[in-house]
Amino acid sequence: MIILSTAAHDCAAVYCFPLMTPTLSEPASAAAAAPNPASPPALFIRGLKYTYPRSEGDEVGVAPWTLSLTQLELARAEQMLLTASSGAGKSTLLSLVAGLMDPATGSIEIDGQNIHALRGAARDRFRGARVGVIFQTFNLLVGFSALENVMSALYFGGVPTKEHAPRARALLQRLGIAREGALVERLSVGQQQRVAVARALACRPALVLADEPTASLDPENAGVAMELVQGVCREQGAALLCVSHDPSMAARFTRRESLAELSSAPRIADDRRLV
Amino acid sequence: MNDWTIIFRSLRARLFSTITTVLMVGIAVALMLVLLTMRGAGQKAFERGSGDMHLMVSADDSALVAVLNGIFYANPPRRAMTWAKYEEIARSAPFAYVIPTQIGDNFEGVAVMATAPEFFTKFRPNPGEAWALREGRFFERSFEVVLGSQAARQSGLTVGSELHLTHGMHASGDAKGEKEGEAHDHDENVHNEFTYTVVGILKPTGGSHDRAMFTDLNSTWIIHAHEKRERAAGAEIPPTTEADLTPADRLITGMYLRLVTREGSDVASNLPQVFDQLRRDPTIVVAQPRQEIDKLFRIVRNIDTLFFAVAVVVLISSAVAIMLALYNSMEQRRRQVAVMRVLGASAGHVFGLIVTESALIGLLGAALGVVLGLGGSLVAAEVLRSRVGLAIDASLPPGLILYMVLVSVLLAALAGLIPALMAYRTSVAKNLRPLA
Repeated sequence: MIILSTAAHDCAAVYCFPLMTPTLSEPASAAAAAPNPASPPALFIRGLKYTYPRSEGDEVGVAPWTLSLTQLELARAEQMLLTASSGAGKSTLLSLVAGLMDPATGSIEIDGQNIHALRGAARDRFRGARVGVIFQTFNLLVGFSALENVMSALYFGGVPTKEHAPRARALLQRLGIAREGALVERLSVGQQQRVAVARALACRPALVLADEPTASLDPENAGVAMELVQGVCREQGAALLCVSHDPSMAARFTRRESLAELSSAPRIADDRRLV
Repeated sequence: MNDWTIIFRSLRARLFSTITTVLMVGIAVALMLVLLTMRGAGQKAFERGSGDMHLMVSADDSALVAVLNGIFYANPPRRAMTWAKYEEIARSAPFAYVIPTQIGDNFEGVAVMATAPEFFTKFRPNPGEAWALREGRFFERSFEVVLGSQAARQSGLTVGSELHLTHGMHASGDAKGEKEGEAHDHDENVHNEFTYTVVGILKPTGGSHDRAMFTDLNSTWIIHAHEKRERAAGAEIPPTTEADLTPADRLITGMYLRLVTREGSDVASNLPQVFDQLRRDPTIVVAQPRQEIDKLFRIVRNIDTLFFAVAVVVLISSAVAIMLALYNSMEQRRRQVAVMRVLGASAGHVFGLIVTESALIGLLGAALGVVLGLGGSLVAAEVLRSRVGLAIDASLPPGLILYMVLVSVLLAALAGLIPALMAYRTSVAKNLRPLA
């Protein structure tokens, strides 16, 4: 693996000449931070199988659509791009990783904790504290200020109240949001993206899931946004699992995987079943 | 950041619906508070005015009118009785007291009752409670006035103040339509020739008499006789004195009667007989004030039960409105709920947030309702005072306020259950899918 990179801060560019990781079982080295062998990987998926529930109109006799993953490991602070065509089940995979859906078999460990072994509120709390999510549409809390959006993550993530404001402020400042008190809906798209990044990283998660993080942005802004996401993840030592079908993303990641190749199950034609 | 910030942001985000639902709850709570307060306070005020009398006699049209005019100062009684009639009735049975009253004059809208000294020494404005003075003394001579507590406040008079009475019971302008009375068939005018002096102010009794001022019968007879004589003479005449009074001048408009009872008892065994005996006299009307008050409240209760039912319906519809407002907002909020879940909020936490938000609307509405209710009670009390002559305590009982607040918070929380359940069951994975 050959990596040429400069310090990845605010606007610094990251030039990556990515190579495919040969096998899934081999732990891939992170772009900027070396994994600590003593600590568990940020994400470790093994023997994952998810069967989509049958819905009306399904032809009898046709095998149910499944998503399966033999093994996938993401080291601490490692960044990986997972490419998938529409309907390949990437949203399902992210939902499974975030503990929002339960697999039929297999385990997903985040920071050494099998998220599906946790139930109810404990799982929600764990997700809030250890997993950051960046959405394509940002999904900021409308009616809340930029600061409150970041603070809400700290609140739900179980961070002590007195740390909320200073941590949120510092993070927003680092990401260049000067109008922290402004309602998010009054911010520009670029600024909203920054708030979303700040919110995802507020609890210093072990793993950040980014679902098509640049799909709402024009190419120029998309580049800036990705630099920001990757840079901040690196700074905070968070692993990044980025899901995208944007071909321009590939250049930004040293480790890239295709869901189709990872999955041994038949491909899914469309993802209408999830709507 | 805490739950309250989240709830307040959510209420702010739907400001219009928040305000309308709070208003609805507020109006319903106010309506119920006013009705419940008026019902209790109205009856209490009525029960108080009649004090410990068993019967009331007047020449009015009906027993109820006699009680409203003669005890509650609703209007000046229309017909008068002679002093001979008073003496005849006083002799007719073994009474503990027969107190003559004459109502018809006013001072700046405060009714004046002319009566005998027994009104203060024998009649008890509340059973078991005698009159008490806050200041000064009871009247002992003619042209001395004792003020009821509220009358003192309303008129601004103090002990030592001098005043002239106006004929008719309401202040000028207000009294124009009330003067068709046969006993007072002349024009309203100020009795300037005779000056009254305030000698005492009574402590409050909570009854209608607090709104009146009291003087002796002689003074009243004298000023009316003087007026009559002056008009007959067509010129100024020397002031009339007690010696000038004729039996035709000695008129009264009512009598308060109490039968002899055993020590410590309020029940007179001969009341039915005396009542029947007095009723045989066609020139007078005999009323048992408590029965008349009960009769009045039976009529009123039908109406206020209807009002109460309306208030209950309004309160329930406001709860439904809260539910609808939250339910509709849930459609837009599913994504927000899903985001909170991803950020680490449990389904139970989100459920609690929605129920609390709903309960908070109930609480804000109840608070508004208490404020509106206080205002409404004051207005209702003023209307009852000026129209019916009924003095009621407009303050809301704290227990009732607390009860209404609890009821509305509980109802609102209940209304929040369905939307909260929707939030609880919101599929996070489904609601976070990109909009594209």
